[in-house]
Amino acid sequence: MSEPLLVVRDLCTTFATPTGRLRAVDGVSFDLGANETLGIVGESGSGKTVLSRTIMGLQPRTNVEVSGSVRLGGFEVVGASETAKRSIWGTEVAMVFQDPMTSLNPVVRIGNQITESLRVRLGMSRAEAKARAIELLELVGIPSAAERFRAYPGQLSGGMRQRVVIAIALSCSPSLLLADEPTTGLDVTIQAQILNLLDELKQRLAMSVILVTHDLGVVATRTSRIVVMYAGRVVETGTTRDVFYDHRMPYTRALLESSPKVSNPSHTRLAAIAGRPPNLTELGAGCAFAPRCAYASDRCRAERPELTAAGDGHTYACWHPLAPRGAPS
Amino acid sequence: MNEHPFEPEYPVDSLTAGVAGGELSGESSIVMEATTLDGVVAKKRLGPLFWICVGWLALNVLGAIFANVLPLKNPYFEDYSVVNAGPGWHHVFGTDDLGRDIFSRVVYGARVSIAAGLGSMVIGFAVGMPLGMLAAYRRGRFDGVTTTVMYVLLAFPAIIATIGVLSFWTPRNLIKIIIVIGIASIPLVYRVVRAATLAVASKDYVLAAKVQGATDRRILMKELLPNIAPVAVSFLVIGIATVITLEGALAFLGLSVNAPTPSWGNMINESRTDLAQNPWLALFPALAMCLFLLCLNFIGDRLRSHYDVAEVKL
Repeated sequence: MSEPLLVVRDLCTTFATPTGRLRAVDGVSFDLGANETLGIVGESGSGKTVLSRTIMGLQPRTNVEVSGSVRLGGFEVVGASETAKRSIWGTEVAMVFQDPMTSLNPVVRIGNQITESLRVRLGMSRAEAKARAIELLELVGIPSAAERFRAYPGQLSGGMRQRVVIAIALSCSPSLLLADEPTTGLDVTIQAQILNLLDELKQRLAMSVILVTHDLGVVATRTSRIVVMYAGRVVETGTTRDVFYDHRMPYTRALLESSPKVSNPSHTRLAAIAGRPPNLTELGAGCAFAPRCAYASDRCRAERPELTAAGDGHTYACWHPLAPRGAPS
Repeated sequence: MNEHPFEPEYPVDSLTAGVAGGELSGESSIVMEATTLDGVVAKKRLGPLFWICVGWLALNVLGAIFANVLPLKNPYFEDYSVVNAGPGWHHVFGTDDLGRDIFSRVVYGARVSIAAGLGSMVIGFAVGMPLGMLAAYRRGRFDGVTTTVMYVLLAFPAIIATIGVLSFWTPRNLIKIIIVIGIASIPLVYRVVRAATLAVASKDYVLAAKVQGATDRRILMKELLPNIAPVAVSFLVIGIATVITLEGALAFLGLSVNAPTPSWGNMINESRTDLAQNPWLALFPALAMCLFLLCLNFIGDRLRSHYDVAEVKL
């Protein structure tokens, strides 16, 4: 049996900071098959972004230590040299960034930003690259692509720019697209458009997508599986349906409840999670969520729960899991 | 839009339904965010004064380059029949105490001043710019070492260093002056370029280029350089102006090119003794220098505000 496209095993990313060692990613494992969408969800500071950058093999040059394994299409990312990683960047894995305002070079025409990697990586001629770039711009839904080819990023709206960013990411047909909060910098209406676009492109180009977000609404309808992260660890993973309707981890429920619902009467108080995410340099022995958890017991504070299976591909890390619920018919 | 991201209950079932469409979002969704190309491009103008300044600089540079082809009087010919003459028909700017034509000496003097300004800036940028960009892009130990070295150099007053070196490195000629001022300008260029690169290097588009598989070299050339170019160019222009002033100061101290070679600073220096009888002698080279510097500074300033792309357009 062939290996899934992306296999992450026991991945740890540790930063040496002046106040101590900071485990931003702590023992994360998951698989991602071809043409699947995985959602990585968690609060700010839960290690989502560091995780996605570690999967890419993007680390600062100093003060960081990565252990574990990330196998992407058979290529071991952890410990690979810059040159080796450069060979998979763009062609195997590409990234869409959070803020389309800063992820395009303001002084280069968007056309040239797309043709750049086409020409350098795929060795296309100028004319070929231009034709392909216009195709890509059309693919991501930019009207009158041939004219926009010569536009500067400053002449495009945020949503348009994010489309261009996606076009650049897709230029070398990667098999995995990592989207790190791709819609956070956009208006709500544009958010939906961009997410739908990512979804459609995934179907068309048969690639896998990792959608990193703090917004459960974003992943609800677009992912096949979800990984919930807290304080650098995976606290629950499962199919999207399991995570939404049959979650066991109190943190997952708290996260779900903190999403505003349109059906609530107005002036309903939003259920926020009390407290803040813990300081990752001073984690105790117990469950990291225990100080904020309504169900926490002495055991939670003393002993860290490991991931426990709760059915097919559904795991959670909790000593006091919530009762299983039947999915609504 | 078929799904709203904040739906009351999460319709997991539409996971399959939502993507069944297959076709792209279609026109209706795109129109909302489309910015029309016309109307956005309200081009900023550099203004006529900018072009007048450019014209004046071009005239000076061309004059300096083609001085021996132009129908000018010999700047070294001493005509003792017209000593210390005021401006007139035969000598447009008058003559100096040795009867040499001031106009042609001002034109020839531009050679030394402009060559010193350009030459030392070329040295300063050739060394300071790649170092500054590399240091800001790589950070780490390389940055630490170069920055410390440059700050040590900066701490030493450049004018005193130049005077010191030029006093002992004789016979003085233009090349030596260019080298000395050029080296003194390296840390200044380094500091400006490094600061400009630092601001750009942390931008997402640099990371984006990296994860598209761009090599460090390409990132430096294609992502960083175009973004720091405006800052570098305006600093270059203002740097040239500063060096011309510095050359003038050195000449006034008798540390620039040896007489009788004219430079604007040399001529002002020579005029000291006869200032009372012949003010023209000081006026014209000083005027030439002032106008040249004014134009340079104006252009540098104008360019900087014109190319402030990052703030204005984003």
